[in-house]
Amino acid sequence: MTVTIGFLVNPIAGMGGAVGLKGTDGLLAEAIKRGARPEAGNRALVALRKLKGAPLRFLSCSGPMGEDALNVAGITGFEVVYQTPHPTTSEDTRRACAVFEVHGVDLILFCGGDGTARDVYDTVLDRIPILGIPAGVKMYSAVFATTPESAAAIILNLSQSVRHMRDAEIVDVDEEAYRDGDLRTRLHGYAQSLYLPGLVQGTKQVLEDQDEDRAKEGIGRFLAEVILGTPDILYLIGPGSTTGAIAREFGIPKTILGFDAVKQGRLVASDLNEEEIIRLLEREKKSRLIVSIIGAQGSVLGRGTRQVSPRVIRMIGIENIIVVATPHKLSETPVLFVDTGDEALDKAFGPHISVISGYQIAQRKRIGVLTTKE
Amino acid sequence: MQTKIILDEEEMPKRWYNIQGDLPSPLDPPLNPQTKNPATPSDLAAIFPMELIRQEMSADRYIDIPGEVQDVLRLWRPTPLYRATRLERALKTPAKIYYKWEGVSPAGSHKPNTAVPQAYYNMKEGVERIATETGAGQWGSALAFATMLYDIQCSIYMVRSSYTQKPYRKSMMNVWGAECIPSPSTKTNAGRAMLEKDPDTPGSLGVAISEAVEDAATHSNTHYSLGSVLNHVCLHQTIIGLECRAQLASVESYPDIVIGCVGGGSNFAGVSFPFAGDKLIGKHPEVEIIGVEPASCPTLTKGLYAYDYGDEAGLTPIMKMYTLGHDFIPPSIHAGGLRYHGDSPIVSRLVHDGVMRAVSYHQSEVFDAAQTFARSEGFIVAPETSHAVKAAIDEALKCRKSGEEKTILFNASGHGDFDMSAYDAYYAGNLSDYEYPDSLIREALSRLPKVP
Ligand SMILES: Cc1ncc(COP(=O)(O)O)c(C=O)c1O
Repeated sequence: MTVTIGFLVNPIAGMGGAVGLKGTDGLLAEAIKRGARPEAGNRALVALRKLKGAPLRFLSCSGPMGEDALNVAGITGFEVVYQTPHPTTSEDTRRACAVFEVHGVDLILFCGGDGTARDVYDTVLDRIPILGIPAGVKMYSAVFATTPESAAAIILNLSQSVRHMRDAEIVDVDEEAYRDGDLRTRLHGYAQSLYLPGLVQGTKQVLEDQDEDRAKEGIGRFLAEVILGTPDILYLIGPGSTTGAIAREFGIPKTILGFDAVKQGRLVASDLNEEEIIRLLEREKKSRLIVSIIGAQGSVLGRGTRQVSPRVIRMIGIENIIVVATPHKLSETPVLFVDTGDEALDKAFGPHISVISGYQIAQRKRIGVLTTKE
Repeated sequence: MQTKIILDEEEMPKRWYNIQGDLPSPLDPPLNPQTKNPATPSDLAAIFPMELIRQEMSADRYIDIPGEVQDVLRLWRPTPLYRATRLERALKTPAKIYYKWEGVSPAGSHKPNTAVPQAYYNMKEGVERIATETGAGQWGSALAFATMLYDIQCSIYMVRSSYTQKPYRKSMMNVWGAECIPSPSTKTNAGRAMLEKDPDTPGSLGVAISEAVEDAATHSNTHYSLGSVLNHVCLHQTIIGLECRAQLASVESYPDIVIGCVGGGSNFAGVSFPFAGDKLIGKHPEVEIIGVEPASCPTLTKGLYAYDYGDEAGLTPIMKMYTLGHDFIPPSIHAGGLRYHGDSPIVSRLVHDGVMRAVSYHQSEVFDAAQTFARSEGFIVAPETSHAVKAAIDEALKCRKSGEEKTILFNASGHGDFDMSAYDAYYAGNLSDYEYPDSLIREALSRLPKVP
């Protein structure tokens, strides 16, 4: 069966970065004035050349939003389903994706940065898998392949055999703060994406590391046993589908983007804000926080997580934070970043952190220093 | 200064040292898994030859090595003891480091030291076939070699993750005429049950032991053989430490620290028991003895000292040992031979009594150490052995700080010639530093057998 791919390029992605701006959103005029030239099409080309001749059907947008790159790569037989205006805005990414969805594409392949990822996700949510060819200034969302080449490898694998699907976080980055050297990511949503276990794992694969669902199930089962074994402890469970596996063990609902409270396997409260969390913690003798790793660069407790403020973390205590992540996620993030928004608190985590990665298994990861400066 | 200390063939020990003879009180007995009463020799007779059962329970301080077994052991024994001057120089340590090189055996590790006598005693009883398990394939290849010598058929259940990672170990078993089966398999009830629970399981030593024990118990011509953990296995390995003691004596030395890596405990027991015995009888009360295990499977450092099964399905006798729980499946680290939930009951007892102690390390720091060793001494050791290397290096670095000229002895249990893919993964930056979340596990429900 031929795989149908909706392909789009955000032509202005990355232009800001090339001229020393930390992003292009709202700064295109300034970027052009500083001499920036569209580069995203070239990044896309690297991937497309590898896809030439594969049994794939492409739907795309006219001119710089896809057609040009497909032509240069020598890919024929694609269909233009969206007419690109000049100049383009983020609205065009959204409109094109809506058209792709109507055409029933199997996958949206886009070339851009975090802003583009967010536009694609906002349009199709988790209904269609999303894969990004990295070309932006910021790529903190987890839908990006590591390189254009690896994006192509993932797609070639897809057309041949099974699909390895995984959840991928879309993050918002505060542009203004970022330009001041301050990274604030906030979880925006969970897209569906694809991955190639062999490619990310390298030469040595271990069986249990290959399957996302299996790993999540193991993490969920283990922590469910811990929760039942500690009936006096209240557990605040953070966003994500890895943490969601714990709720599944108990058959209770989980707020995908929020914090829920669980005790003895029963749901105490859901989608709590900071104030509600503090009120809850004040009543409890001991509480723990279970959070997953967010984003492509691997952050723990991004400061955009408003509900769990430094005050909340101090009330809970660092020793009562349980971090979870699948082995695949951990293989993509050699170093983790703790970013509570409170430097003293971040430092208190020390040089290493133990991350629960399976049933009765953890991995020790190094904690790095977060900076947006090169 | 002498680089390697070599004993003559006539100086090879003619008796094994049985530390049970020097324990201040007997070991807690193994229990029959059904009745939970102390296991009797007849409980074990279905799967072990009588002589091994006798050795298992013996309190005689020394047990003779049969002449025919000595003849085979002389193929590679006595093994050399090296003074690691190049490593000492690289570390700038005043410590004197010695390592016993067991990589010279046909199978490339210490495992043939017990495989040969085990096969021999089975041959003496007319056993036609032996079933066993193997983790990384070291034990399987050693037993394949030993059974070949005595014309005994051999079926080896190999933990599946290693079976795929280390295809050449399987090839070695085939060269020596043995059959190698990935575990869990569909040949046994234990294997089928595990596959039903989880068709994608990487397998574990615990499951493979269940399969081999079941195979032996359900075939009248078949016995079972275990490559580690049991008292008689540790006994056979003491030839390592006995040779070391003689070799060091020949240069008028005695170790301050003795180190070995610990999977089921046999090579550590082998190198250390003669020295632990000296400590127990007060001859060398200050010798420090250190077992080294992976942080991902830290039986001695984080396990419970309790009665537990030796295998996943609960078919083996229940033994008093340090354990992480018989259903614990350790992550697939490259040191496959160290992935065992329990430990030798004697080693456990000695650690519990403070005669020895244990440390644990993460995977990547262990490979750092193996690289340091390979780039100074030349030998590329097995990932299991690298754990001992790491501890020896750390002790030597402590001496550099304190200025002490301690004598450090460690057992280099095997070569890494078939583990190069593990080194590749290390250089590719693909090693995960697995660890055991002990406090959380302790809070979750414990699954040790209920022993009255
Ligand atoms: C080279 C090597 N060292 C050590 C071990 C660990 O076993 P034990 O603790 O019984 O010595 C193994 C087991 O396979 C091994 O192959």
